[in-house]
Amino acid sequence: MASTGSNSSVRAAEAEAAQVENAAPAEVVVGLTSHNDAATIGAVVHAVQAALETAGRADTARLVLADAGSSDGTREVVRGLVAPPRLIELEYARGATFREMPYHGAPGRATALRGILEAAHQLGARACAVVDANRQAADPACIDLLMTPVLRDGFDYVSPYYARHANEGAMTKGIVYPVFRALYGARLRQPAASEFGCSGRLLSHYLAEPFWEAEHAAAGIDLWLAVAAACGDFLTCEAALGAREVSPRGAPADLSTTLAQVAGALFADLDTRVDGWQRVRGSVEVPMVGTVPALETDGPSLNLDGLVESFRLGSRELRDIWTWVLPPRTIVELRKMSDAPPDRFVFDDRLWATIIYDFAFGYCHPVMPRDHLLRSLTPLYSGWLASFAREMRGAGLAQADERVEQLCLAFEAEKRYLISRWRWPERLR
Amino acid sequence: MTNDALWYKDAIIYELPVKSFCDGNADGIGDFKGLHEKLDYLQALGVNCLWLLPFFPSPLKDDGYDIAAYTSVHPAYGTLDDFKAFLDAAHARGMRVVIELVLNHTSDQHPWFQRARSAPPGSPERDYYVWSDTDRRFEGVRIIFVDAERSNWTWDPVAQAYYWHRFFHHQPDLNYDNPAVVREMLAVLDFWLDMGVDGLRLDAVPYLVEREHTSCENLPETHALIKAIRRHVDAATPGRMLLAEANQLPADVRAYFGDGDECHMAYHFPVMPRIFMGLHAEDRQPIVDAMEQTPPIPENCQWALFLRNHDELTLEMVTDDERDYMYLAYSLDPQARLNLGIRRRLAPLVGNNRRRIELLNALLFSFPGTPIVYYGDEIGMGDNLYLGDRNGVRTPMQWTGDRNAGFSRADAARLYSPLITDPVYGYPAVNVEAEESDTASLLHWMRNMIRLRRQFKVFGRGTIEFLSPANRKVLAYVRRYRDDIILCVANLSRTVQPAELDLGAFDGMVPVEMLGYTEFPAIGSLPYFLTLGPYGFYWFELQRPGR
Repeated sequence: MASTGSNSSVRAAEAEAAQVENAAPAEVVVGLTSHNDAATIGAVVHAVQAALETAGRADTARLVLADAGSSDGTREVVRGLVAPPRLIELEYARGATFREMPYHGAPGRATALRGILEAAHQLGARACAVVDANRQAADPACIDLLMTPVLRDGFDYVSPYYARHANEGAMTKGIVYPVFRALYGARLRQPAASEFGCSGRLLSHYLAEPFWEAEHAAAGIDLWLAVAAACGDFLTCEAALGAREVSPRGAPADLSTTLAQVAGALFADLDTRVDGWQRVRGSVEVPMVGTVPALETDGPSLNLDGLVESFRLGSRELRDIWTWVLPPRTIVELRKMSDAPPDRFVFDDRLWATIIYDFAFGYCHPVMPRDHLLRSLTPLYSGWLASFAREMRGAGLAQADERVEQLCLAFEAEKRYLISRWRWPERLR
Repeated sequence: MTNDALWYKDAIIYELPVKSFCDGNADGIGDFKGLHEKLDYLQALGVNCLWLLPFFPSPLKDDGYDIAAYTSVHPAYGTLDDFKAFLDAAHARGMRVVIELVLNHTSDQHPWFQRARSAPPGSPERDYYVWSDTDRRFEGVRIIFVDAERSNWTWDPVAQAYYWHRFFHHQPDLNYDNPAVVREMLAVLDFWLDMGVDGLRLDAVPYLVEREHTSCENLPETHALIKAIRRHVDAATPGRMLLAEANQLPADVRAYFGDGDECHMAYHFPVMPRIFMGLHAEDRQPIVDAMEQTPPIPENCQWALFLRNHDELTLEMVTDDERDYMYLAYSLDPQARLNLGIRRRLAPLVGNNRRRIELLNALLFSFPGTPIVYYGDEIGMGDNLYLGDRNGVRTPMQWTGDRNAGFSRADAARLYSPLITDPVYGYPAVNVEAEESDTASLLHWMRNMIRLRRQFKVFGRGTIEFLSPANRKVLAYVRRYRDDIILCVANLSRTVQPAELDLGAFDGMVPVEMLGYTEFPAIGSLPYFLTLGPYGFYWFELQRPGR
């Protein structure tokens, strides 16, 4: 992510700094990140205001808007609902050009979050909640759940837990959560979510972290914040925020791009935090606040045959690439799976765990361009997803969570394999 | 790079002479341009600190330790701009850079000496050096280079006086009783630290001040001077490191740490020959003795450990019997002996035995201190006993099996030194390119070990306790730092050895072998039994069950 400076952007930044410096201290800061969200942001601001009113915090709270240069009147909508000094607008995107469009469609997200956290820090906030402006349904009670555990119960980090159908958020269920949990020992089930709450102590810690300007920060920053909370001496919890429905920002990224960005962000942290994760054994449950609702609608359907076919095609075309990071026994297993009839297509948990660890290792000890490596994971992920979705056909939330729990145990069990490879790397070819 | 002021405790230092590493301009001599080109190699090796031997203008009668100008670069190695570009590039790769500060003496070609010898006796210019009308002052002070010098005094016909030198006669000692000399050297120090250099190796530091009726070594006035230098560095450029070269007994070296207010680091000279002795005798006692006789040092200080370096394997700090043993064990060829030491590289010293090389490095990386790897030892380079002085261990780095070992594109006749060409250690057989392509090579092994070592601060910062298994061929010790407990066990013998370790203090803990992350049976109340292969070693993390 790069920004180009100009006189007007410098002046805007100075004005923004003055806005924060001159503001009275705030107990709570609610940060809104937006990008062309005029259709939804009004309802979100209303919900935030309602949550603050109900909690009696309206007078001691500030709304910090970090807009990524919207052209659809997003900021005007907010200005129509909240006025300074309760509203602080960050000008981080003015004059900026963002090279990378992350899969979630929010360019410059790391800069936006950093601005929100810096503002919260300067205002002396005890709690800061970050809320997405593209929520279709904004419930004040959910927004309150990102703040109250910090203010009332002393938690430092509140991670959202959205109720999702078995097939939804599969990348998180199949890769992000199991790896996060096995490596860092905290059972935060949706650690890359774009909403969270944090304490003043944690946000100070965040601001001292070196990841803000790291490569791929726009895609990885949400996950890295969760990792930093899990690796430090901080109390974490999950908040049941109900079902999450968001308006898509532009055309969705293709699977391969999304997977490369998500897995890349996950793997990028391994090298820098090696002192920590290699010392963690097992994992601990984190408390949950709020109640997980039942899902009323059916989940999205997946083309399972198409996913299996994608896996088979990858097995034929990408086998040579895979041999750079996967050991022979895995390649043989994958060939056998490729030959299996569709109704007997099963991706073993331990095999999946070792594959993800091998890719993580290959990412951190590069043997080929990282983007090529990560994109070659796509057919494997398709195969895993097909297997998972078939098994979860008709399953409810609890059954899906139970299945994910099994998968996580496999990742925990195979962590030794990753450490062993990491400790004494031998090139395969 | 971290902002940790104690960064040197976690460093892996790589020592190299610029002239020997890589020739970037095809004149047959290594230079900063060439070194710059090889930074990726060093980064991949995993070292995070480079120690450069002297690269200053010099007549090169003592391989650059005879400095003729302190604040520039010898033209053969490049320019100050080349050095700065190299320094920035090293920093960008997370590597710090330590250079030499030869405080004790200059070259006799240094303008200060040329001016001093013509200046009237008693004048400030004359007093930059130590003069005498007779060669009887400071009588009884030992001569260090016994093979080359007969006296510490040399007559200067221009000055019509003797000048004092603890090393070669062409290296007159500076006179630190003259405040102008102190000011000059602080300005030199500022010049390099302001440029961004991360540390200075203070060469020959025990000999800075002379007093009658003393050994002229380790004098209180010398320590006062070092304290003043440290105060100056801390005030002007905090976070920089001073490394003392004091080839003395541990108790005397300890003084160079002061109360944490002199040097940050100092070489542990005595342990190195005893490691070699223990290996040859297949007996841990010489090593344990050396470590147990090592005095404690202040929290902010660190020992610098090495197996081999650019000098001879010095035997100054061992007894006469031990020296005889070492000569018999490691230098039956008298050509290998120089001064009171053995001028050989690591691989030839241990008969090119890969297991011995690995064992010695495993000890180096797991003993308390900061390890120093000498260039070329990571690929098992050999030496040339028939080159003069210590030049046999300073031959061109062997990058490839191609012309000039990939070191230089110059005509072979122009190389500053002949290459190693013998069938065992010659560059066609031993070179970086070949070892890169061989996953079982020493180079790969070293990379893995360095990477693993860097992962555990306990090795650089932890305490050490030796265990006493009945089998003296087995060396076992425990390192502790914060929550980390590491058990190291080494077989100093060429044959398989059993070891029964008293690990009662760790009852219930599970040893996890660190290289492969393999869990071993839990420790119980009985002695813990291990079998070690020839020259085998284990590093175990002791983990609490269910942690």
